[in-house]
Amino acid sequence: MRAWALCLLLGLALAQGRLEAGLYGAPGGLTPALEAAFSLGEGEVYAKGQVGRGALGYLGSLSLGPLGFLAYGVQGEVGEGGVGGALFLEGGAGPVALEGRLGFRPQAALPLFPEASFFGRLALRYRASPKEVLGLEVAQNAPPRSPSFGLQPGWEGAFRLEGSYAFRPEATYTLGLGVSPWPYALLGFKGEVGEEGEVLDLLLRLGGVNRLEAGLYLGEASLHLTLSYPWAGSFVVWLGDLGLEAGYHHAPYAWVRYAWRWP
Amino acid sequence: MEVAVKKILAALGLALFLGLAWAQSVSQILDLVEKNLSEPWQALVQGEIQGPGGREALQARVYALPKERLFRIEFLKPGSLEGNFTVVTEKEVWNYLYLTNQLVISPKEKAQVQGLGFSPQGLGDPKALSERVSLHLAGEERLPEGVAWKLVGEAKEGQGFARLELYVLKADPRPVRFLFLDEGGKVLADLRVVEFKRASLSPAQLKRYPKDAQVVRR
Repeated sequence: MRAWALCLLLGLALAQGRLEAGLYGAPGGLTPALEAAFSLGEGEVYAKGQVGRGALGYLGSLSLGPLGFLAYGVQGEVGEGGVGGALFLEGGAGPVALEGRLGFRPQAALPLFPEASFFGRLALRYRASPKEVLGLEVAQNAPPRSPSFGLQPGWEGAFRLEGSYAFRPEATYTLGLGVSPWPYALLGFKGEVGEEGEVLDLLLRLGGVNRLEAGLYLGEASLHLTLSYPWAGSFVVWLGDLGLEAGYHHAPYAWVRYAWRWP
Repeated sequence: MEVAVKKILAALGLALFLGLAWAQSVSQILDLVEKNLSEPWQALVQGEIQGPGGREALQARVYALPKERLFRIEFLKPGSLEGNFTVVTEKEVWNYLYLTNQLVISPKEKAQVQGLGFSPQGLGDPKALSERVSLHLAGEERLPEGVAWKLVGEAKEGQGFARLELYVLKADPRPVRFLFLDEGGKVLADLRVVEFKRASLSPAQLKRYPKDAQVVRR
Protein backbone atom coordinates (compact mmCIF):
# COMPACT_ATOMS: atom_id res chain seq x y z
CA MET A 1 0.00 0.00 0.00
CA ARG A 2 2.80 2.36 0.99
CA ALA A 3 4.68 1.47 -2.22
CA TRP A 4 1.59 2.25 -4.30
CA ALA A 5 1.19 5.59 -2.53
CA LEU A 6 4.88 6.40 -3.13
CA CYS A 7 4.57 5.42 -6.82
CA LEU A 8 1.49 7.62 -7.15
CA LEU A 9 3.24 10.58 -5.47
CA LEU A 10 6.33 10.08 -7.64
CA GLY A 11 4.17 9.90 -10.79
CA LEU A 12 2.36 13.09 -9.85
CA ALA A 13 5.62 14.86 -9.04
CA LEU A 14 7.07 13.90 -12.46
CA ALA A 15 3.91 14.86 -14.39
CA GLN A 16 3.52 18.43 -15.58
CA GLY A 17 1.50 20.20 -12.94
CA ARG A 18 0.52 23.19 -10.88
CA LEU A 19 -0.07 23.76 -7.19
CA GLU A 20 -1.84 26.89 -6.01
CA ALA A 21 -2.04 27.78 -2.34
CA GLY A 22 -3.98 30.71 -0.97
CA LEU A 23 -5.31 32.37 2.16
CA TYR A 24 -8.62 34.21 2.21
CA GLY A 25 -9.43 36.57 5.05
CA ALA A 26 -12.75 38.21 5.97
CA PRO A 27 -14.29 39.36 9.29
CA GLY A 28 -15.46 35.72 9.87
CA GLY A 29 -11.88 34.42 9.96
CA LEU A 30 -9.14 33.02 7.73
CA THR A 31 -9.72 30.29 5.13
CA PRO A 32 -6.81 28.42 3.58
CA ALA A 33 -7.43 27.09 0.07
CA LEU A 34 -5.46 24.69 -2.10
CA GLU A 35 -5.67 23.65 -5.75
CA ALA A 36 -3.53 21.05 -7.54
CA ALA A 37 -3.60 20.13 -11.24
CA PHE A 38 -1.71 17.46 -13.21
CA SER A 39 -1.44 16.98 -16.96
CA LEU A 40 -3.11 13.82 -18.16
CA GLY A 41 -2.84 13.13 -21.87
CA GLU A 42 -4.51 15.98 -23.75
CA GLY A 43 -6.00 17.54 -20.62
CA GLU A 44 -5.50 17.97 -16.90
CA VAL A 45 -7.08 16.53 -13.83
CA TYR A 46 -7.39 18.86 -10.85
CA ALA A 47 -8.49 18.85 -7.24
CA LYS A 48 -9.29 21.89 -5.13
CA GLY A 49 -10.46 22.30 -1.63
CA GLN A 50 -10.94 24.49 1.40
CA VAL A 51 -12.59 24.02 4.77
CA GLY A 52 -16.13 22.79 4.12
CA ARG A 53 -15.90 22.01 0.41
CA GLY A 54 -13.79 20.12 -2.13
CA ALA A 55 -13.94 19.39 -5.86
CA LEU A 56 -12.40 17.08 -8.40
CA GLY A 57 -12.42 17.96 -12.08
CA TYR A 58 -11.06 17.34 -15.55
CA LEU A 59 -10.24 19.91 -18.22
CA GLY A 60 -9.62 18.79 -21.80
CA SER A 61 -8.82 20.70 -24.96
CA LEU A 62 -8.74 20.43 -28.71
CA SER A 63 -6.50 22.66 -30.81
CA LEU A 64 -7.40 23.46 -34.41
CA GLY A 65 -4.14 25.28 -35.09
CA PRO A 66 -4.69 28.81 -36.46
CA LEU A 67 -8.38 28.00 -36.96
CA GLY A 68 -9.35 27.76 -33.31
CA PHE A 69 -9.26 26.11 -29.93
CA LEU A 70 -11.83 24.40 -27.75
CA ALA A 71 -11.60 23.62 -24.02
CA TYR A 72 -14.11 21.61 -22.04
CA GLY A 73 -14.37 20.36 -18.50
CA VAL A 74 -16.41 18.74 -15.81
CA GLN A 75 -16.25 19.26 -12.04
CA GLY A 76 -17.83 17.30 -9.17
CA GLU A 77 -18.04 18.68 -5.63
CA VAL A 78 -18.85 17.57 -2.10
CA GLY A 79 -19.20 19.72 0.97
CA GLU A 80 -21.46 21.53 3.37
CA GLY A 81 -25.03 21.67 2.08
CA GLY A 82 -24.57 18.71 -0.29
CA VAL A 83 -23.02 17.76 -3.59
CA GLY A 84 -22.59 20.02 -6.61
CA GLY A 85 -21.06 20.08 -10.03
CA ALA A 86 -20.35 22.11 -13.13
CA LEU A 87 -19.74 21.71 -16.87
CA PHE A 88 -17.56 24.02 -18.97
CA LEU A 89 -17.12 24.58 -22.69
CA GLU A 90 -15.26 27.48 -24.21
CA GLY A 91 -13.27 28.40 -27.27
CA GLY A 92 -13.65 29.44 -30.85
CA ALA A 93 -13.38 28.20 -34.41
CA GLY A 94 -13.20 30.53 -37.40
CA PRO A 95 -15.67 33.40 -36.94
CA VAL A 96 -17.52 31.94 -33.91
CA ALA A 97 -16.54 31.90 -30.24
CA LEU A 98 -18.39 30.75 -27.16
CA GLU A 99 -17.96 30.55 -23.42
CA GLY A 100 -20.36 28.33 -21.54
CA ARG A 101 -20.62 27.08 -18.01
CA LEU A 102 -23.48 25.50 -16.14
CA GLY A 103 -23.54 24.25 -12.58
CA PHE A 104 -25.23 23.77 -9.28
CA ARG A 105 -23.96 24.31 -5.75
CA PRO A 106 -26.22 24.33 -2.66
CA GLN A 107 -24.28 27.20 -1.07
CA ALA A 108 -21.31 29.41 -1.85
CA ALA A 109 -17.96 28.81 -0.15
CA LEU A 110 -15.48 31.65 -0.61
CA PRO A 111 -12.93 31.90 -2.10
CA LEU A 112 -12.86 28.81 -4.36
CA PHE A 113 -16.61 28.29 -4.80
CA PRO A 114 -18.20 31.74 -5.11
CA GLU A 115 -21.35 30.82 -7.08
CA ALA A 116 -24.44 29.45 -5.34
CA SER A 117 -27.63 27.65 -6.40
CA PHE A 118 -28.03 27.14 -10.16
CA PHE A 119 -25.43 29.18 -11.98
CA GLY A 120 -24.54 29.51 -15.61
CA ARG A 121 -23.20 31.71 -18.34
CA LEU A 122 -23.39 31.43 -22.09
CA ALA A 123 -21.58 34.04 -24.15
CA LEU A 124 -21.61 33.80 -27.94
CA ARG A 125 -19.58 35.99 -30.25
CA TYR A 126 -19.70 36.15 -34.03
CA ARG A 127 -17.13 37.91 -36.19
CA ALA A 128 -19.39 39.57 -38.75
CA SER A 129 -16.42 41.15 -40.55
CA PRO A 130 -12.68 41.30 -39.81
CA LYS A 131 -13.20 44.42 -37.68
CA GLU A 132 -16.69 43.82 -36.22
CA VAL A 133 -17.85 41.33 -33.58
CA LEU A 134 -21.42 40.77 -32.41
CA GLY A 135 -21.94 39.35 -28.92
CA LEU A 136 -24.80 37.85 -26.95
CA GLU A 137 -24.53 36.84 -23.33
CA VAL A 138 -26.99 35.30 -20.91
CA ALA A 139 -25.96 34.60 -17.33
CA GLN A 140 -27.43 33.70 -13.97
CA ASN A 141 -25.47 33.91 -10.71
CA ALA A 142 -22.18 33.96 -12.59
CA PRO A 143 -19.36 36.55 -12.69
CA PRO A 144 -18.91 38.30 -16.04
CA ARG A 145 -15.12 38.31 -16.37
CA SER A 146 -12.30 35.76 -16.48
CA PRO A 147 -10.88 34.35 -13.22
CA SER A 148 -7.92 36.76 -13.42
CA PHE A 149 -10.39 39.45 -12.23
CA GLY A 150 -10.73 37.52 -8.96
CA LEU A 151 -14.00 37.27 -7.06
CA GLN A 152 -15.57 40.29 -8.83
CA PRO A 153 -18.06 41.14 -6.06
CA GLY A 154 -21.30 42.83 -7.02
CA TRP A 155 -22.73 40.35 -9.54
CA GLU A 156 -24.24 37.90 -7.03
CA GLY A 157 -27.75 36.64 -7.55
CA ALA A 158 -28.43 38.54 -10.75
CA PHE A 159 -29.80 37.43 -14.10
CA ARG A 160 -28.19 39.18 -17.06
CA LEU A 161 -29.01 39.31 -20.75
CA GLU A 162 -26.66 41.43 -22.82
CA GLY A 163 -26.12 42.17 -26.50
CA SER A 164 -23.03 43.97 -27.80
CA TYR A 165 -21.38 45.28 -30.94
CA ALA A 166 -17.59 45.69 -30.99
CA PHE A 167 -15.60 47.38 -33.73
CA ARG A 168 -11.90 48.12 -34.02
CA PRO A 169 -10.60 50.84 -36.26
CA GLU A 170 -7.36 50.45 -34.23
CA ALA A 171 -8.42 49.95 -30.61
CA THR A 172 -11.64 48.01 -29.93
CA TYR A 173 -14.76 49.95 -28.93
CA THR A 174 -17.84 48.15 -27.59
CA LEU A 175 -21.44 49.34 -27.45
CA GLY A 176 -24.24 47.29 -25.95
CA LEU A 177 -27.52 47.01 -24.16
CA GLY A 178 -28.59 44.66 -21.40
CA VAL A 179 -31.23 43.85 -18.79
CA SER A 180 -30.52 42.70 -15.23
CA PRO A 181 -33.51 42.96 -14.59
CA TRP A 182 -33.63 46.71 -15.49
CA PRO A 183 -32.16 47.97 -18.76
CA TYR A 184 -28.63 49.30 -18.88
CA ALA A 185 -26.12 50.50 -21.45
CA LEU A 186 -22.67 49.05 -22.07
CA LEU A 187 -19.59 51.01 -23.18
CA GLY A 188 -16.17 49.50 -23.67
CA PHE A 189 -12.65 50.31 -24.80
CA LYS A 190 -9.71 48.00 -25.26
CA GLY A 191 -6.43 48.95 -26.84
CA GLU A 192 -2.67 49.22 -26.54
CA VAL A 193 -1.57 52.15 -24.41
CA GLY A 194 2.21 51.76 -24.26
CA GLU A 195 5.30 51.28 -26.40
CA GLU A 196 5.69 47.68 -25.26
CA GLY A 197 2.14 46.59 -26.10
CA GLU A 198 0.57 47.26 -22.69
CA VAL A 199 -3.20 46.82 -22.92
CA LEU A 200 -5.96 48.78 -21.19
CA ASP A 201 -9.40 47.16 -21.04
CA LEU A 202 -12.36 49.22 -19.75
CA LEU A 203 -16.01 48.19 -19.56
CA LEU A 204 -18.73 50.38 -18.09
CA ARG A 205 -22.37 49.42 -17.48
CA LEU A 206 -24.74 52.27 -16.64
CA GLY A 207 -28.46 52.27 -15.85
CA GLY A 208 -30.10 49.21 -14.30
CA VAL A 209 -26.56 48.00 -13.53
CA ASN A 210 -23.84 50.42 -12.50
CA ARG A 211 -20.46 48.82 -12.75
CA LEU A 212 -16.93 49.53 -13.96
CA GLU A 213 -14.48 46.78 -14.85
CA ALA A 214 -10.92 47.72 -15.75
CA GLY A 215 -7.81 45.73 -16.55
CA LEU A 216 -4.28 46.98 -17.24
CA TYR A 217 -1.92 44.34 -18.64
CA LEU A 218 1.78 45.10 -18.39
CA GLY A 219 3.22 41.69 -19.24
CA GLU A 220 4.26 39.74 -16.14
CA ALA A 221 2.15 42.12 -14.04
CA SER A 222 -1.51 42.98 -14.44
CA LEU A 223 -4.01 45.08 -12.47
CA HIS A 224 -7.77 44.48 -12.31
CA LEU A 225 -10.42 46.72 -10.81
CA THR A 226 -14.15 46.16 -10.38
CA LEU A 227 -16.42 48.78 -8.87
CA SER A 228 -20.21 48.44 -8.50
CA TYR A 229 -23.05 50.47 -7.07
CA PRO A 230 -24.63 49.44 -4.61
CA TRP A 231 -21.09 49.58 -3.29
CA ALA A 232 -18.96 46.54 -3.92
CA GLY A 233 -15.59 46.25 -5.55
CA SER A 234 -12.22 44.58 -5.78
CA PHE A 235 -8.67 45.32 -6.76
CA VAL A 236 -6.45 42.48 -7.96
CA VAL A 237 -2.73 42.58 -8.72
CA TRP A 238 -0.98 39.70 -10.47
CA LEU A 239 2.82 39.64 -10.27
CA GLY A 240 3.68 36.55 -12.26
CA ASP A 241 2.10 33.70 -10.30
CA LEU A 242 1.46 35.76 -7.16
CA GLY A 243 -2.08 37.09 -6.84
CA LEU A 244 -3.08 39.78 -4.34
CA GLU A 245 -6.73 40.76 -4.03
CA ALA A 246 -8.50 43.16 -1.72
CA GLY A 247 -12.17 44.01 -1.94
CA TYR A 248 -15.41 44.96 -0.30
CA HIS A 249 -18.74 43.20 -0.39
CA HIS A 250 -20.87 43.90 2.73
CA ALA A 251 -17.49 43.65 4.52
CA PRO A 252 -13.83 43.96 3.53
CA TYR A 253 -11.90 40.86 2.46
CA ALA A 254 -8.45 39.93 1.16
CA TRP A 255 -7.13 36.95 -0.75
CA VAL A 256 -3.46 36.08 -1.31
CA ARG A 257 -2.47 33.16 -3.53
CA TYR A 258 0.58 31.78 -5.24
CA ALA A 259 0.98 29.11 -7.91
CA TRP A 260 3.96 26.78 -8.40
CA ARG A 261 4.28 25.20 -11.81
CA TRP A 262 6.48 22.29 -12.88
CA PRO A 263 8.48 21.09 -14.68
CA MET B 1 20.37 -11.49 -77.16
CA GLU B 2 23.59 -10.55 -75.41
CA VAL B 3 23.42 -7.06 -76.93
CA ALA B 4 19.83 -6.64 -75.70
CA VAL B 5 20.81 -7.66 -72.14
CA LYS B 6 23.72 -5.18 -72.25
CA LYS B 7 21.37 -2.42 -73.44
CA ILE B 8 18.88 -3.19 -70.65
CA LEU B 9 21.69 -3.23 -68.05
CA ALA B 10 23.02 0.06 -69.43
CA ALA B 11 19.54 1.60 -69.29
CA LEU B 12 19.06 0.35 -65.72
CA GLY B 13 22.48 1.73 -64.78
CA LEU B 14 21.62 5.07 -66.33
CA ALA B 15 18.24 5.13 -64.52
CA LEU B 16 19.97 4.28 -61.22
CA PHE B 17 22.56 6.98 -61.83
CA LEU B 18 19.88 9.55 -62.68
CA GLY B 19 17.83 8.45 -59.65
CA LEU B 20 20.83 8.99 -57.39
CA ALA B 21 21.52 12.30 -59.09
CA TRP B 22 17.90 13.44 -58.55
CA ALA B 23 17.93 12.21 -54.92
CA GLN B 24 21.10 14.12 -54.27
CA SER B 25 19.67 17.16 -56.00
CA VAL B 26 16.77 17.52 -53.54
CA SER B 27 19.10 17.82 -50.57
CA GLN B 28 21.40 20.09 -52.58
CA ILE B 29 18.49 22.31 -53.55
CA LEU B 30 17.28 22.51 -49.95
CA ASP B 31 20.84 23.29 -48.84
CA LEU B 32 20.96 26.10 -51.43
CA VAL B 33 17.62 27.40 -50.10
CA GLU B 34 18.86 27.20 -46.52
CA LYS B 35 22.04 29.09 -47.42
CA ASN B 36 20.16 31.69 -49.47
CA LEU B 37 17.59 32.24 -46.70
CA SER B 38 19.99 32.25 -43.77
CA GLU B 39 19.51 35.99 -43.11
CA PRO B 40 16.23 37.47 -41.77
CA TRP B 41 13.54 37.85 -44.43
CA GLN B 42 9.84 38.53 -44.86
CA ALA B 43 7.32 37.76 -47.59
CA LEU B 44 3.66 37.77 -48.44
CA VAL B 45 2.10 34.38 -49.14
CA GLN B 46 -1.18 34.40 -51.03
CA GLY B 47 -3.47 32.03 -52.85
CA GLU B 48 -6.43 29.81 -52.22
CA ILE B 49 -7.14 27.21 -49.57
CA GLN B 50 -9.89 24.66 -49.11
CA GLY B 51 -11.41 25.98 -45.87
CA PRO B 52 -14.20 24.39 -43.80
CA GLY B 53 -16.75 26.41 -45.78
CA GLY B 54 -15.28 25.85 -49.27
CA ARG B 55 -12.53 27.57 -51.25
CA GLU B 56 -11.25 30.75 -49.64
CA ALA B 57 -8.59 33.30 -50.41
CA LEU B 58 -5.60 33.13 -48.08
CA GLN B 59 -3.10 35.88 -47.51
CA ALA B 60 -0.45 35.76 -44.83
CA ARG B 61 2.68 37.67 -44.01
CA VAL B 62 5.65 35.46 -43.13
CA TYR B 63 8.57 36.71 -41.03
CA ALA B 64 11.65 34.55 -40.62
CA LEU B 65 14.76 34.46 -38.47
CA PRO B 66 16.25 31.27 -39.93
CA LYS B 67 19.35 31.16 -37.72
CA GLU B 68 17.17 31.19 -34.60
CA ARG B 69 14.72 28.79 -36.33
CA LEU B 70 12.00 31.28 -35.52
CA PHE B 71 9.10 32.02 -37.89
CA ARG B 72 5.91 34.06 -37.63
CA ILE B 73 2.92 33.82 -39.96
CA GLU B 74 0.32 36.60 -39.63
CA PHE B 75 -2.99 35.86 -41.32
CA LEU B 76 -4.62 38.68 -43.29
CA LYS B 77 -7.23 36.64 -45.20
CA PRO B 78 -9.76 35.01 -44.91
CA GLY B 79 -11.51 37.60 -42.75
CA SER B 80 -12.29 35.04 -40.03
CA LEU B 81 -8.53 34.51 -39.50
CA GLU B 82 -7.46 38.16 -39.71
CA GLY B 83 -5.55 39.02 -36.55
CA ASN B 84 -4.63 35.38 -35.90
CA PHE B 85 -0.97 34.42 -36.11
CA THR B 86 1.28 31.39 -35.74
CA VAL B 87 4.78 31.50 -34.29
CA VAL B 88 7.05 28.51 -34.83
CA THR B 89 10.01 28.27 -32.46
CA GLU B 90 12.61 25.51 -32.30
CA LYS B 91 10.45 23.38 -30.00
CA GLU B 92 6.96 24.90 -29.94
CA VAL B 93 4.15 26.20 -32.10
CA TRP B 94 2.17 29.20 -30.80
CA ASN B 95 -1.25 29.92 -32.26
CA TYR B 96 -2.79 33.28 -31.34
CA LEU B 97 -6.56 33.49 -31.83
CA TYR B 98 -7.86 37.03 -32.09
CA LEU B 99 -11.52 36.31 -31.36
CA THR B 100 -10.89 34.49 -28.08
CA ASN B 101 -7.68 36.43 -27.31
CA GLN B 102 -5.88 33.18 -26.52
CA LEU B 103 -2.32 32.13 -27.20
CA VAL B 104 -2.28 28.33 -27.47
CA ILE B 105 1.23 26.92 -27.04
CA SER B 106 1.85 23.33 -28.14
CA PRO B 107 5.00 21.25 -28.43
CA LYS B 108 5.90 20.88 -32.13
CA GLU B 109 5.08 17.17 -32.18
CA LYS B 110 1.53 17.88 -30.94
CA ALA B 111 0.93 20.84 -33.23
CA GLN B 112 -0.77 19.19 -36.16
CA VAL B 113 -3.08 21.36 -38.18
CA GLN B 114 -6.45 19.82 -38.79
CA GLY B 115 -8.85 21.39 -41.22
CA LEU B 116 -6.55 23.98 -42.76
CA GLY B 117 -5.33 21.60 -45.49
CA PHE B 118 -1.76 22.84 -45.33
CA SER B 119 1.03 23.27 -42.87
CA PRO B 120 1.60 26.95 -42.00
CA GLN B 121 4.82 25.98 -40.22
CA GLY B 122 6.31 24.83 -43.53
CA LEU B 123 5.76 28.16 -45.28
CA GLY B 124 8.75 29.69 -43.55
CA ASP B 125 10.96 26.63 -43.22
CA PRO B 126 11.09 24.34 -46.31
CA LYS B 127 13.86 22.21 -44.78
CA ALA B 128 11.63 21.41 -41.78
CA LEU B 129 8.80 20.74 -44.22
CA SER B 130 11.01 18.27 -46.10
CA GLU B 131 11.40 16.26 -42.88
CA ARG B 132 7.67 15.60 -42.99
CA VAL B 133 7.40 15.09 -46.75
CA SER B 134 9.61 12.67 -48.71
CA LEU B 135 10.45 15.02 -51.58
CA HIS B 136 11.98 14.15 -54.93
CA LEU B 137 12.91 16.31 -57.91
CA ALA B 138 10.33 16.17 -60.70
CA GLY B 139 12.03 18.49 -63.17
CA GLU B 140 11.99 22.20 -63.87
CA GLU B 141 9.18 24.59 -64.79
CA ARG B 142 9.02 28.12 -66.06
CA LEU B 143 7.01 30.29 -63.66
CA PRO B 144 6.29 34.04 -63.86
CA GLU B 145 9.15 34.56 -61.36
CA GLY B 146 11.62 32.54 -63.50
CA VAL B 147 12.74 28.95 -63.95
CA ALA B 148 12.01 26.83 -60.87
CA TRP B 149 12.85 23.36 -59.64
CA LYS B 150 9.70 21.32 -59.01
CA LEU B 151 9.97 19.14 -55.90
CA VAL B 152 7.11 16.73 -55.21
CA GLY B 153 6.50 14.24 -52.43
CA GLU B 154 4.12 12.27 -50.26
CA ALA B 155 3.44 13.59 -46.75
CA LYS B 156 3.96 11.45 -43.70
CA GLU B 157 0.80 10.68 -41.74
CA GLY B 158 -1.01 13.38 -39.75
CA GLN B 159 0.16 16.44 -41.73
CA GLY B 160 -3.32 17.50 -42.88
CA PHE B 161 -2.38 16.94 -46.53
CA ALA B 162 -1.22 13.91 -48.55
CA ARG B 163 1.02 15.38 -51.24
CA LEU B 164 3.10 18.50 -51.73
CA GLU B 165 4.48 20.24 -54.81
CA LEU B 166 7.14 22.79 -53.95
CA TYR B 167 8.62 25.15 -56.55
CA VAL B 168 12.05 26.61 -55.82
CA LEU B 169 13.37 29.51 -57.89
CA LYS B 170 16.70 28.58 -59.51
CA ALA B 171 18.16 32.08 -59.91
CA ASP B 172 17.52 33.02 -56.25
CA PRO B 173 16.99 29.69 -54.45
CA ARG B 174 13.83 30.15 -52.38
CA PRO B 175 10.32 28.67 -52.50
CA VAL B 176 7.92 30.57 -54.75
CA ARG B 177 4.94 28.23 -54.83
CA PHE B 178 3.44 25.58 -52.53
CA LEU B 179 0.74 23.20 -53.74
CA PHE B 180 -0.83 21.02 -51.03
CA LEU B 181 -3.06 18.15 -52.24
CA ASP B 182 -5.19 15.44 -50.62
CA GLU B 183 -5.13 11.67 -51.34
CA GLY B 184 -7.45 12.12 -54.35
CA GLY B 185 -5.27 14.83 -55.88
CA LYS B 186 -7.65 17.64 -54.92
CA VAL B 187 -5.89 20.94 -54.30
CA LEU B 188 -6.14 21.88 -50.61
CA ALA B 189 -3.99 24.95 -50.89
CA ASP B 190 -2.23 26.70 -53.76
CA LEU B 191 0.02 29.40 -52.35
CA ARG B 192 2.49 31.73 -54.01
CA VAL B 193 5.26 33.69 -52.30
CA VAL B 194 5.27 37.34 -53.35
CA GLU B 195 6.84 40.54 -51.98
CA PHE B 196 9.90 38.67 -50.76
CA LYS B 197 12.56 40.85 -49.14
CA ARG B 198 15.43 40.74 -46.68
CA ALA B 199 14.47 42.51 -43.48
CA SER B 200 15.79 43.61 -40.14
CA LEU B 201 13.89 41.53 -37.57
CA SER B 202 14.38 40.61 -33.92
CA PRO B 203 13.20 37.58 -31.91
CA ALA B 204 11.13 39.92 -29.69
CA GLN B 205 9.26 41.24 -32.76
CA LEU B 206 8.43 37.74 -33.95
CA LYS B 207 7.33 36.55 -30.49
CA ARG B 208 5.19 39.59 -29.73
CA TYR B 209 1.60 38.96 -28.63
CA PRO B 210 -1.04 41.06 -26.83
CA LYS B 211 -0.21 41.33 -23.13
CA ASP B 212 -3.78 40.58 -22.10
CA ALA B 213 -3.92 37.30 -24.05
CA GLN B 214 -4.78 34.18 -22.10
CA VAL B 215 -1.82 31.81 -22.48
CA VAL B 216 -2.88 28.16 -22.75
CA ARG B 217 -0.12 25.52 -22.63
CA ARG B 218 -1.00 22.09 -24.01
